[in-house]
Amino acid sequence: MKTLVVADRKGSDLRRVTLELAVKARELGDATVVEIAGERYSPLPFVSALAKKVEAEKPDLVLLGATLNGRDLGARLAARLGRAYAADVTGLRAAGNALEVDKPMYAGKVRAKLRIDLPAIVSVRPGAMPLKDGAEAPQIDKVDADASAEKLTFVKLAATATAAKRVSLSEARVIVSGGRGLKGPENWHLVEELADALGGAVGASRAVTDAGWRPNEEQVGQTGKTVTPDLYVALGISGAIQHLAGMTSSKVIVAVNKDPDADIFKIADYGVVGDLFEFVPAFTDAVKKIKGNG
Amino acid sequence: LGGPTGNLKILIPLKQVPDSTVRVKVAPDGKSVVTEGITWSISPYDEYAIEMALERKDADPSTVVAVVTVGPARTRDALRQALAMGCDEATLVTADSAAPLAIARALAKVVEEAKPDLVLCGKQASDDDQGFVGPALAELLGWPHVATITKVVPLDGGVELWREVEGGHEVWKAPLPALATVHKSEKEPRYPSLPGIMKAKKKEIPERSLSALGVDAAGPTWTVLSMEPPPVRGGGKILKDGDAKQIAQQLATALRDEAKVL
Ligand SMILES: Cc1cc2nc3c(=O)[nH]c(=O)nc-3n(C[C@H](O)[C@H](O)[C@H](O)COP(=O)(O)OP(=O)(O)OC[C@H]3O[C@@H](n4cnc5c(N)ncnc54)[C@H](O)[C@@H]3O)c2cc1C
Ligand SMILES: Nc1ncnc2c1ncn2[C@@H]1O[C@H](COP(=O)(O)O)[C@@H](O)[C@H]1O
Repeated sequence: MKTLVVADRKGSDLRRVTLELAVKARELGDATVVEIAGERYSPLPFVSALAKKVEAEKPDLVLLGATLNGRDLGARLAARLGRAYAADVTGLRAAGNALEVDKPMYAGKVRAKLRIDLPAIVSVRPGAMPLKDGAEAPQIDKVDADASAEKLTFVKLAATATAAKRVSLSEARVIVSGGRGLKGPENWHLVEELADALGGAVGASRAVTDAGWRPNEEQVGQTGKTVTPDLYVALGISGAIQHLAGMTSSKVIVAVNKDPDADIFKIADYGVVGDLFEFVPAFTDAVKKIKGNG
Repeated sequence: LGGPTGNLKILIPLKQVPDSTVRVKVAPDGKSVVTEGITWSISPYDEYAIEMALERKDADPSTVVAVVTVGPARTRDALRQALAMGCDEATLVTADSAAPLAIARALAKVVEEAKPDLVLCGKQASDDDQGFVGPALAELLGWPHVATITKVVPLDGGVELWREVEGGHEVWKAPLPALATVHKSEKEPRYPSLPGIMKAKKKEIPERSLSALGVDAAGPTWTVLSMEPPPVRGGGKILKDGDAKQIAQQLATALRDEAKVL
């Protein structure tokens, strides 16, 4: 199978998902990695350059990371080329002349296996494909974005005041999320200190983002991010079905809640029934000690 | 459709999906989900799109907000719900099933007739979780699009669209007509008011078929091989022996030695 991987960067760094896809593409056969080079992502200049590359190389499969930009680019590319498209898949393999993919649907409440005829375009969830440490950086073909196709004007970047320097949620191996049980944004240092001790990212329930305690981009769940870290710690989160939809595939789940009947305990591997204001500082200390940096 | 000229006209293509509280179950055929007896709703991001448009209408009552859906007869309820929230017009394009690109093609026909200035789609529908139809519709129309916006500001000769990205918002200016996909509105989607519900009941919802629009239901898509629920979790432990400090220590130890995630 001939695969074209579309590289994705965060700032100047290649995203890990690009390496994951490059490894996968080599497994499937002939692999090329292309990067569309432009000052910032914009659909028309990027899709125009990428469509030309696809028409020249004629790959059976185009793989993108299911990142904000990758998903957008993949969708518009599929429409331009009239090809089948599957977004945010978590597994893929060749099946004769077709492709078989695993795709979470219904906001993660169902896992589907789908067959897609080639040629096709697929975006893959970051972290879903195994990647051994020290995977070789792929060789990257650079193609300039087609500035002549642009119809939009970039005005400015408005940074979120609380924008964290931490790892992004969708790529984090550890996530500590806070819910309404935190009582207010002034208590978020508890969530952040634990996240820092664990080397993880900070998430939130929708009750919290709706209240404006935390930015939208930190929301986990059906209308937020779907995450699959190795460790998910839920602090003061009740476990509404819409929250669970976004985090129930995490490897290990820890819940801290003062209500012993909270739904979050039904899916937690480790539960602590109690006051988070008392427990979290103690747990942060214990983590620091056990990791040998406290 | 077809509102007064000179005012901003916003069209929202919406999809009816199982309500977010539905515990979606796989049907006995193992390839589809149980839909009998479930509650259907407007897909959550489409509700945000409606709210965003209605917030524009609150600010400028000359704004016209129209909705359209491509789907089976039951989807009329979703349109009725949108009218009850305060939308002005609704169109139903009947289709029992259609490939994603065919849905976009049907929507493109409706857009060409209705001539909205701005089309707002949801960032993704919460059944297929694709995020395809919005960008595909823009592509078919030859319009620019901006994905995952949280704010729209009308300007002279265009709109400013705020796109949520890691760490903040990119602000883009688009000429009209343009399309955006919506991630969130400023306020929570409003509930229909009682007068809104009464008014919606009286509104006519014109119906078109795919074939009347000259659109074939076929298009590139997938075949479902199987569906299954995510693995059941359970058998977790509640740690309760000792005070907060002791439990904290037990938990940290268990995460390192048992779960091996530290
Ligand atoms: C269409 C739709 C989409 C949605 N999408 C999402 C989504 O993406 N993500 C999401 O999270 N929600 C989503 N929701 C909302 C969801 O239904 C819940 O309302 C929300 O998840 C509740 O957030 P919470 O658990 O923080 O708050 P609550 O449900 O209020 O729970 C707070 C918890 O904190 C506990 N608590 C309080 N004080 C303490 C203390 N001192 N110590 C320990 N525990 C304490 C309480 O026992 C309680 O269990 C959606 C809803 C709808 C309708
Ligand atoms: N059948 C449909 N009828 C009208 N609009 C739709 C339909 N399907 C999808 N859309 C729109 O396209 C968005 C993305 O849908 P999807 O590509 O299915 O994830 C939705 O949020 C709707 O705004």
